[in-house]
Parts: sequence; structure tokens; C-alpha cells
Amino acid sequence: MVDKGFRIKVLRKFVHLPYTYQFLLPILVFLHSKENPAYRIWVRFLLNTFREAYAHRKPVVWANSFLPSEIHYGLDVIPVLPEIISALVTYLGWSERPISKADTRISTDLCTFYRCALGLALENFLPRPDLLLSSSQLCDGANKFFSTMGQLYQCPHLLLDPPYSNHPRSHRYMEEQIEDLLKQASQILSLPFKKDRFSLVLNRSNQARQWIDKINQLRQSIPSPFPGSEGLSYLSGMNFYSVGSIWSIPFFSLLHQEIEKKVSSKKGYLPKEKYRLLWLHHVRPYYKNEIFNILSSKDAAVSFEEANYLYWPFHDSSQPWKSLAEKILSNVWAGPIERRMKAIDEMIRSYSIHGVIHFSHWGCRQSCGGAAIIGDYLKQKGIPYLTLPGDCADPNNYSPGQTRTRLEAFIEMME
Amino acid sequence: MNSFLTFKKILDDLKRNDSSCQNKKLIGWTCTYLPLEILEAANLTPFRILPEPDTEKADSYLDPNFCPFIKASLEKALSGEYPSLSGIIILNTCDGMRRLFDAWRFYCKPSFSYFLDLPRVIRPSSVAFFKESLKDLIHQLDFYFGRKITEEDLQIAIERSNRSKALMKELFSLQGMGEPPLTHGDILEILSEGWKIDRFLFNQALEKFISLLGENKKTCSEAPKVMVTGSLLDGSALIRMIEELGGEVVASDLCIGQRILNLVNLDTDPLDLLSKAYLGKPPCARMQDTKRRIEGLKQRLMESRANGLIYFSLKFCDPFLYEAPAIEEAIKETGVPLLFIEGEYTGKPGGGIRTRIQAFLEVLRRDG
Repeated sequence: MVDKGFRIKVLRKFVHLPYTYQFLLPILVFLHSKENPAYRIWVRFLLNTFREAYAHRKPVVWANSFLPSEIHYGLDVIPVLPEIISALVTYLGWSERPISKADTRISTDLCTFYRCALGLALENFLPRPDLLLSSSQLCDGANKFFSTMGQLYQCPHLLLDPPYSNHPRSHRYMEEQIEDLLKQASQILSLPFKKDRFSLVLNRSNQARQWIDKINQLRQSIPSPFPGSEGLSYLSGMNFYSVGSIWSIPFFSLLHQEIEKKVSSKKGYLPKEKYRLLWLHHVRPYYKNEIFNILSSKDAAVSFEEANYLYWPFHDSSQPWKSLAEKILSNVWAGPIERRMKAIDEMIRSYSIHGVIHFSHWGCRQSCGGAAIIGDYLKQKGIPYLTLPGDCADPNNYSPGQTRTRLEAFIEMME
Repeated sequence: MNSFLTFKKILDDLKRNDSSCQNKKLIGWTCTYLPLEILEAANLTPFRILPEPDTEKADSYLDPNFCPFIKASLEKALSGEYPSLSGIIILNTCDGMRRLFDAWRFYCKPSFSYFLDLPRVIRPSSVAFFKESLKDLIHQLDFYFGRKITEEDLQIAIERSNRSKALMKELFSLQGMGEPPLTHGDILEILSEGWKIDRFLFNQALEKFISLLGENKKTCSEAPKVMVTGSLLDGSALIRMIEELGGEVVASDLCIGQRILNLVNLDTDPLDLLSKAYLGKPPCARMQDTKRRIEGLKQRLMESRANGLIYFSLKFCDPFLYEAPAIEEAIKETGVPLLFIEGEYTGKPGGGIRTRIQAFLEVLRRDG
């Protein structure tokens, strides 16, 4: 038997080698040759990002998902998003060890995505950051986790602190913050500060936005052409991670093509679709679980998920700071809950939704804190609603029996 | 009679003799980053939301893994147990406060509600933004309560508040005086009385109480000296427990204690000064700069000559929970032992916490 510690050491060695990702690329592309071409771009995008992050030819910047990705590509750095890495690690079935490792240091009451990322950092699996950039939108964890990382790696941390209100004074303040942050980041990373590059990236972002909008429109079709489980994995992953990069336009345009084919042939992702559901919260459990199978077995399609709701307007690439401020402050999950409710109303209408599931991820205060209000609001409108408590990253917090009972009761309620 | 009861008697006598202050409208508030001077300038009485621990109803309206203080705050609002509040002001302190603001409006429908933005960083642009936000608050108060707040009103309110904070500082300096000696727990309870009443009345009561104390001698204690830091405490129960177990709490870095004693310099632009003073006050974990918090704690430990630090975090309080390891490491480097407690908002800390504090005090005693 090979010692576990030795195996971890070997694994860590491989994870840190840029060649690992070069080697894995053709294998994974071959293995996924039957998947849709957009999915293969996601795989390439990730492997390329990890290869570059470990090769460290360009500055490596860690950031949270709600810091607009245009910032990374405008700065021309390699972005590492710990939350997304945690989701991937969970998907591969490896999240338990880093979570337990983190639990020796911080409270188990905190978000498991950040605990998983902390564990990975403590075990030296992650590429070393040159700079940490985070936005306090949407949650307190996004500020404090990155501060913790700053102490761990002895690395500078710059915070973007979006206000709650969408008032003109908030826009002015955001613009100032963005410009300051980018100037400071360029200085810390010894990169030239190029405003033109941001304009180019924002133009790319606009093109990606057009495709996202078209995809979202196609997903209004009945039957649902694209599974929500995938909407909550690589589609939302690319939405958070790639917009503004060279990868985003081919990804979203190819995905659009694929979905369009399904819509033209009137084929849904389920053999039979009786109910159309909306999934609330940006995440789903990424370890092996039965949630989507249970729903499918009851002919309930997850037709759309709020993670992919397109909330930001087109950028004016001649005014990059103003545009980025606009993107940040138009976020419907920030500010008063009425903004989120309005967006939910719109999604229910556009996607002909019969029922709504709010997945309440352990440790997430910002989304779960509003779950009851949204539920009561929807119940007043006669829309069936289910709060499904669970954990997206820690399989030990998954309760199969209870989850099945709740989901089945919810479907019965719709019947 | 213990010091708190003496103070309470003084206050009750004053209340009986002066009813003018009691006719003002009450405004509920939740976070000490709110410049109360603005409410006082509007002739309103700020009423701090510091509920008794109970979350029976609120459990159905907020997620199970949610700050127990936030839940208790909502609980009282749902049960209609607050005195007749004419409105509430909640700050952008944390995720919990944002959701409390939503839930309060959605389920309790207050007649006036305001959410005040609060930057996490201190730099000229954030101070300017905070000032703009305060201006907006003033505008909304003017409009809703129909009384124009002038610069003079603000200056008078700042003077009164400064007087209050100076008296509180003096009170802390008198710890150990009187018979029985004034304890930190007594002081926090005295301060908590001030959260519910008019500042003028509170100042009068403090002045009278301090003049009585001044006639006594300070008792020197051999007990292990402890400082307490952390998130919101459910009153003084934890402090009282430390004192009962033979520890002496010599300082606290709490938003019900010494984190609120920031004086505002009186100068030409009161809003400018309020913005700077409040953003720059001893930081809570919700602010970005952990280093500043650590430096502040180290200094307070040194000044108070505390032998140990107790760090308390409410369950599900992300800012304080995330910061705990960094604070622990930094404080331990100075050689001061630290006890970390993660607890509920219960009003009565449990047996487990009692045992841990007992053990901690024993370590402090042993190490001299």
C-alpha cells in the first residue's frame, strides 16, 4: 500500500506542473468528444488557465466570482477564482479533505466553497497569487476570505467595495474605486496601465453578452432545450470566469448553435416535460447527488437558473470605468431584495415557470437570508416554492432521503 | 446595592422629574457606525435594537444558519415588542443586516425605514461617499419628520454626544472604585441604559453617578486581568461570568463597550467630521483592514495591562469568524494567551463556555 501522505505529495507535484494540463488536454478533449463543442471549450479554457497559472509567465491574480471578469482580461493577468476551483474539486470528488483541513483553522459555520479553497491553499495545491482582488459584492466572505489569503500568502489584497444603493453618487464612487484599484493593481504587478485594452475587452464582453442574451431567449422554448444542471456548471462558470476573454465568444456562440439545433427540432433535454422549474441561488451541489435525476424522473425540467440571468447592460467601451461600475451596481442580488424579486418575476414569466426551488447552501447568508421572503412573496402569487437546504461542496452534508422526500412532496404540490 | 442599581436609581429619579425628553419620537438602530448625532439633531431619540434572546418566530423567516442577533432583532419586531418606534435605520454592516432590512420591511412594514451605506475601507473617496450618504439620510429625515436639521443642530448634538463619550471614558477610568467596586460588567450595563433614552438625561445621570463614585477609593485587585473583544454580546452576561469566575475584565473592544468612544472634533463642517470620526473609529471585523484592528488590540492590551484576551464571535458571524485565526496568531506572538469562543446570542452563556473561561483564568493565574 502506498502511504496516503506520499500520494498527496505526488498529486501536489502533478497539480503544480504546467505540463500536466498540456498532457490532460488532448485526453479530456477526446473523452468529451461526444459532448457539445461548447463544453469542450470550457475544458480547454480551464486547462489553459491552470497551465498558465502554474507556469506563472504572467501575473496570477486571485479574485472572487462577482468581481467583473473584464477586470482580469483588461489587466492582462491570469485569473484564479477559488470558488470555481472549489466547485471543480467537489465535482471530482476531492472536496472532503481540503474542507477538513480548513476546519482545523476556521469555523465550520462558514461557506464550504471558501473552506474548501482555504484547505487547498493550506495544503499548497493552488497557484501562488501575485495579487488578490475581491469585491465585497455579494457577501462578507468575499472580503474576509481574501484577506485571510493575503495573510497566508503575504500578498497584497485590493478590495472593491460596491455600495448597496444604485444612486448616482454610488456610480461616481464606484468609478473612482475601479480606476484606483486598476492603477494600484498595475503598479503592484508592474504592468503598464492601458485604458485601451479595457475598451477592447469591453467590446469582447459586449459580443459575449449578445450571445448570452440569445441563449437565454432560446431557453424560453418549450420543451426546455438545455438542462439547468449544466446551466449551473459550465455555463454559469463561463459567465463568471470568461466574459471579456478570447474564449467567451466562441464558447457562447457555439453553445447557442447547439441549443438552437435542439429548439429547431423541438427536442427538450427530458423525454417528457410536465413541469418547468426555476432554480434560485448561483450554485448547486457539485458532488454526486440525485437532485436532478429525481426531478427528471418526475418530468420536471429545470428550465432556467438565476445564475445566468443577464442583469448588466451593454458596455460603453469608450468609458470603461463607468461601464464596469454600471455592471457591478446593476447586480440584482445586491441592494434591496425587491430587485431580486423583480428579476425572479421576469424569469417566471419569460420561462413559463411552474415552480421555484431555492437551494440554500450552508454558510451562505446573502442568498439564504432572503429565501423565506422570496418564498412568501411567490406563495402570495400562487407559485409553488421549495427551499432546499444543503451544501454545494461538502458531500457529508447531503441527506439523500430528506432531499428526495422534499423534492417529491414539492412535485406532488404542483400536481 | 451594586453600582448599576445605584445608577439606575439616579436615572429613574431624573426621568420622574423631567418628562420633556420622553416625548420625543424613537428611531430604532442597529450598528454603532451610525452617527447618532444626526438623529439627535433631528430631535429624535435613537433607540438601540438590542433584543432579549428569542428567535421562535424569526426562525421561520430567516435561514437556520443565520446570525442569532439578527434573528432576535426580527423576533421582537414581529412580536411588536419594541416601544412605538417611528422608524428604523439599518446600516450596510454585513450580509445579516442587509437581510434584516429586507425582512423587517417585508414582514413588519415600518412607517420610516432607511438603509445607510457604509464603506469597508477608509480613504478620501470613501469618506466623501459616506458623507454624501449621511447628507441623504438628513434629507430623508427632514422630509419625513418635517423638521429641517441645521448645521447648528448638528453642532449641538455633537457637543452633547462628545460630552457623553467623555463621561463614559471617565466611567471606565473609575473601574474598581466604590463599594462594591465598580466592575466592567456594571459599566456595560450602565452604558446599555443610555441606548434607550435621551442623551441629555443620560449625561445628567452619568455626571451624578460619577460624582458619587469620585468620593470612593479604588480597590486594587489581584485577579487575572482580561480584555474581551469580538462581535456583539448579548448584554453583559459573558463579562459578568468572567467576573464571577474570579477574572477582572479591564478592557473591552466591543460595540457595546469601548469601541464607541470616538470623539468628534468640533470644526466648521460637522458632516465631514462625523464621516471621518465614524469611519475611523476602532474598527469592527466588518472593515477591511485587519492589520489596523490587530494594532488597535495590541495597544489596548498594553494600555490595560491585560494578561489574556477573550475573543467572542457569535455563531454565523462571518466577519468575526474569518478574522479569528489572524487575530489569534498576532496576539499569541505578543505572548498574551487568547481564548476563542464561538457562541449563541443566548443571554446566558452555557456550561461549556463557563468551563473554558474557568480553565483560561486558571492558566492566567498560574502564569502570573
